[in-house]
This record gives sequence, structure tokens and C-alpha cells, in this order.
Amino acid sequence: MKTMVIKRAAVTLYGLLLATVRALGLMICIAVAVFFLIRAIPGDVVDLKAYQGALDAHEQAELRQELGLDQPVTVQFYKWFKKMAVGDLGISLRYVRPVKDMILHAVPITLKLASFSLAIGLAIGIGVATAAAVRPGSIFEWLVNGINIWSIAFPTFSVGVAAILVFVIWLGWTNHMGNIWLPSLILGIDVAGQIVKPLHEDLKECMESSFIRTARAKGLTPLRIVFFHALPNSLTVALALGGIILAGLVNGSITMEVLFGLPGMSSLALSSIQGRDYTVVQAVILYLALSVVVANFITDILQRILDPRLKR
Amino acid sequence: MTCNTEKTCQILGAEEAFVKDLPPRQERKPFFADSKTILGFLILGVALVLAFGGHLFTTADPLKQDLLLINQPPSKTHLLGLDSLGRDVYSRLVYGTRLSLMVAAGATGVALLVGVGLGLLAVSIGGVVDYIMYGIIDLIRAMPGVLFALAMMVTLQPGIPSVILAVGIAFSPNFARIARDTYLREMASGYVAAARSMGVGRLSILKRHVFLNIIGALITQTAIILPRAIVTESVLSFLGLGVSPETPTWGRMIANALDFIEIAPHAMIAPVAALSMVTFGFAMLGDAVRLRFDPLRCGS
Repeated sequence: MKTMVIKRAAVTLYGLLLATVRALGLMICIAVAVFFLIRAIPGDVVDLKAYQGALDAHEQAELRQELGLDQPVTVQFYKWFKKMAVGDLGISLRYVRPVKDMILHAVPITLKLASFSLAIGLAIGIGVATAAAVRPGSIFEWLVNGINIWSIAFPTFSVGVAAILVFVIWLGWTNHMGNIWLPSLILGIDVAGQIVKPLHEDLKECMESSFIRTARAKGLTPLRIVFFHALPNSLTVALALGGIILAGLVNGSITMEVLFGLPGMSSLALSSIQGRDYTVVQAVILYLALSVVVANFITDILQRILDPRLKR
Repeated sequence: MTCNTEKTCQILGAEEAFVKDLPPRQERKPFFADSKTILGFLILGVALVLAFGGHLFTTADPLKQDLLLINQPPSKTHLLGLDSLGRDVYSRLVYGTRLSLMVAAGATGVALLVGVGLGLLAVSIGGVVDYIMYGIIDLIRAMPGVLFALAMMVTLQPGIPSVILAVGIAFSPNFARIARDTYLREMASGYVAAARSMGVGRLSILKRHVFLNIIGALITQTAIILPRAIVTESVLSFLGLGVSPETPTWGRMIANALDFIEIAPHAMIAPVAALSMVTFGFAMLGDAVRLRFDPLRCGS
């Protein structure tokens, strides 16, 4: 018995180790790809500065030398990689500010938006799906389909614009610039729409299985059955959708941050791509990749905890 | 049911009794009997008519500026009013429909060709090639589509072909993954083993057997990707990285109207309503298509 437990733990650890190594490899691949791709774009930050303000050829050459842009790409890559390895993100080519500061300024806003939306989405999604499973044929079942179709039919972009029209212009409730609750709610409903239907279908199936019948025969209340017996089983369905939900959140946060004037990571990515600010683009994309990798990692661990079948 | 011998009668009878115990089999509804399908077709039909015959419905030039009448609310001569540069909103909307549908169709076509082509190529070569290709596919899939298309748009010349290419490539991993997964599933099935044992070549198995079986899943995915391509194009235009600035598109109309939203909300309502209607129409239609063509989910 004891050896089996140890063996199982070893297998789990090995799986996690493998996942970590793969994730790290993926990160390095992304870093390399981004580095060379962004330099393939015609025109660099010096061209842009020269275009905006008067810089003669000599000043341009001087600036390029100062920023290290005159060296061959491979040399630039070597230098950058050496710095990256110790966590130095470099200095913004455009604003001459440490990239770290810019990112540290933007990350909390994006994290706030993402976590609010995720919390709202999970609350609505899990709540409605369980309510519909406990009371089949009630309004909640209709709501499951309603939210699901809503998220397919109305992308967050158009909902965001419509929300500004209705809540800000016509009803005059809030000012949309810098508002974080409205975009969180919009993204949250989108998240809910993605998980509510698969979750409900799985819960419905689960409610008909024999161990639920046993629990019912024991005299447990429906709420206790659904929360402690059915839901832990079905949550793996929601977890399996984690990657899609995250991509949807990042996608949605781009338009939300622009529409509602939030200076988060997506706004930073947008302005740095347009401004050819190589160091910032690299850092932002790396951050995005890191968040995807970390989220997948957390999903993986949670799945292993919730679903003992995966341990083998 | 006719049976000739007593023996078959008995067998058939037993079968009938067995069938009786099963829940009634769900009849597949005719494709057009569903109200959702009709609604979807109706909305998309209107959009298509506007896209191809837009010039029949409007006489106003979508680019002509009337600076004396900027932000004018809807009137008899200008059905949906004028925008912040004095351009006719209705006319711009109609011409934007053409662009949206064109880009969506083109981008989905590119995604389908590139995705299915590369996906099937990789998996049929197998080995290291498949591993690396699948890694790349997963990588692009993990990246948010809008950001990917955006990064591509920066490197390309602004214009309609670039937008089609950027949006198409951003969505191609979805098709690649589906093509790969269904290919692997079908290749593991009995009928392919049977075909192979009869000496059918790899390419003909792919062409005559596997491809016909994955086509349902691809059609379903197409119905999902089409509206997303429309939205992605709009978002690109909205962020100022889509087609050239003069071309009337829904995304650009929204971006322009956003600056004057308090004075002229009418210029905002029209493109948002159009975008929402089209995605809603696709969602209605997509549901029907999914039930019809996705063999795994039939009847659910």
C-alpha cells in the first residue's frame, strides 16, 4: 500500500517535471521567434523617431549605435539573451525607461481585469449550470442556453461598444474611461457562456449516475448532492476549457482595454508594436506566453488534484 | 417488415422488442424546419444582398464629406445620419458589409486551406516533422488571435489581401488541429485498416476515405470561424491596422464614432447593430450546421 502511494506520487511528480521542462522549452522558442520576427518588420524605432521629429543621418546613426541597433542581429540576440537569463528586460527604445517599470505598471491592471472577469464568469457559469442541474426544466435550463448563445452570437467587442452606448451615454451611470467593472462583467459573461453548457451537460449526465442515486437514497439534500458529489466530478470539464477561456480573455482584453481606456498589458502591446519598441514588444509577448504557460500548468495541477483518474 | 422463414421472424420479432425498449429515436429535423435556421438565413441573406447589390440601395457616396452637416442625426435624405466628417452613415454601412463578408470568406478560406493542408501534411509525414509542426500549431493557438493578426498586419502592407492573409493565418491552427485529430481517429478505425490490408495506397485512403469523413467536422468549424473572422477584421480596423483608412469598414466606423459618441451616438449604433446582427445570424446558422454535420454530436 505504502509503496503504491510513493509510486503514484513519483509518477505525478515526473509528469509535472515533464510539463515544466516542456513549458520552459516552449518559452525559449517563443522568445527566440519573437526576437527575430519583430526585427523582420521593416523600419525600426529610429526611423520612426526620424519620421516624427527632424533627425539628420548622422544623428540617426548615432542613436542606432547608442541603442545597439547597428550590430548584426545575431550579436544583438546574444546580448539580449544573456541579459534575459538574469531577468534584465532592458530599456524601452522609445521612451528610454526600464521595460520592467512599464510592465510592472501595466500588469496589475490586466490582472485585475482578468481575475474580476474570471471570478464573475465562474460564479455565473457554475451557479447557473448547477441550478439547472438541480432543477431541470426550470428557468435556469433556459438560462444555460441563453448565456451560451449570447457568448457565441455577441462578441465582446460589439457588446463593449453597445454597453458604452447604453450605460454611459443614454443612462449616464458611469464614465467609461478607466471603468473596470463594465469590461469585467462583459468578459465574465463571455467566460460563463463558454463553460456553462459543457458543464451543465456533464452535470446532467452525472446526476443520473449510480453514485448520485446512492447519495439520494441516503437522504442527502439535493444541494449537498450537487455541491459535494456531482460538481467536483464535473469541474474537470470546466478546467479542460482553461486554455480556450484564457485565450478568449486575452483576446477580449485587447478591445476592452482600448475601449475603456485601461493602460494594461494589451494597450502596452498595441502601442509598442506600432512604435517598433523592440524591447517592450519582446517583454510583453514573453509575459503573455508566460501567463499562458503558467495557466496551463495550474490547470494541469488542478486537474490532477480533482480527477484522481489522471494520476495513473 | 416481411420475413420468409419462421426463424428470421423470431429474430426480427426479438429485435423489434429490443428496439421498443430503447428511448424513441430522435428524428432529424429537416434543415429548414427550424426557426433558428430560418432566422439565420434571413439575416445573412439580407447581408449578402447588401454586400453584392449595395449600390442599388444607396445613391450616396460613402466617401463624400459634407463638412457643413457633420454629426447630423438621421433625416429623410440621410437615413442613418452623418458621421463626424459629414459622410453618409447608411451608405458607409452598406459598403462596409461587402468588405466584412469578403474578408471573412477569404480569411476562412485561407485558414481552411493552410490549416488542413499543413495539418494533414504534418501528420501524414509523422515523426519529428509532426512533432515540430504540432508544436507550432499549438503555439499559435495559444496566442490570442487578434494579437497574432495584429502583429502580422504590422509587417504587411495595409490592404484587403493582407487582412485576409493575417486573419486567415491566425485562425488556421483551429482547422489544422481538427484535421489532425480527426485524421488520427479515422486512421485508427477498422475500415481504414481494411482498406490498407487490401493494398489501397496512402494517398487514396486519405482522399477517398479519411477526407470524406473529416469534412463534417471542417464544415462545423467553418461555421464557427466565419463570424470570428468578421469580428477580428472589425477589431483590426478599429485599432487602425486593417484595410486602408479610406475604405469604409464597420470597425473604422466604430473607431471614428467613439470619439464623438456623446454628440453623435447614431453613427455608432449603425455599425454595432450590423456587426451584432451578422454574428447573431451566423450563430443561429452555426447551431443548425453543427447538428447536421458533426457526426459526434448528432441528436444531442
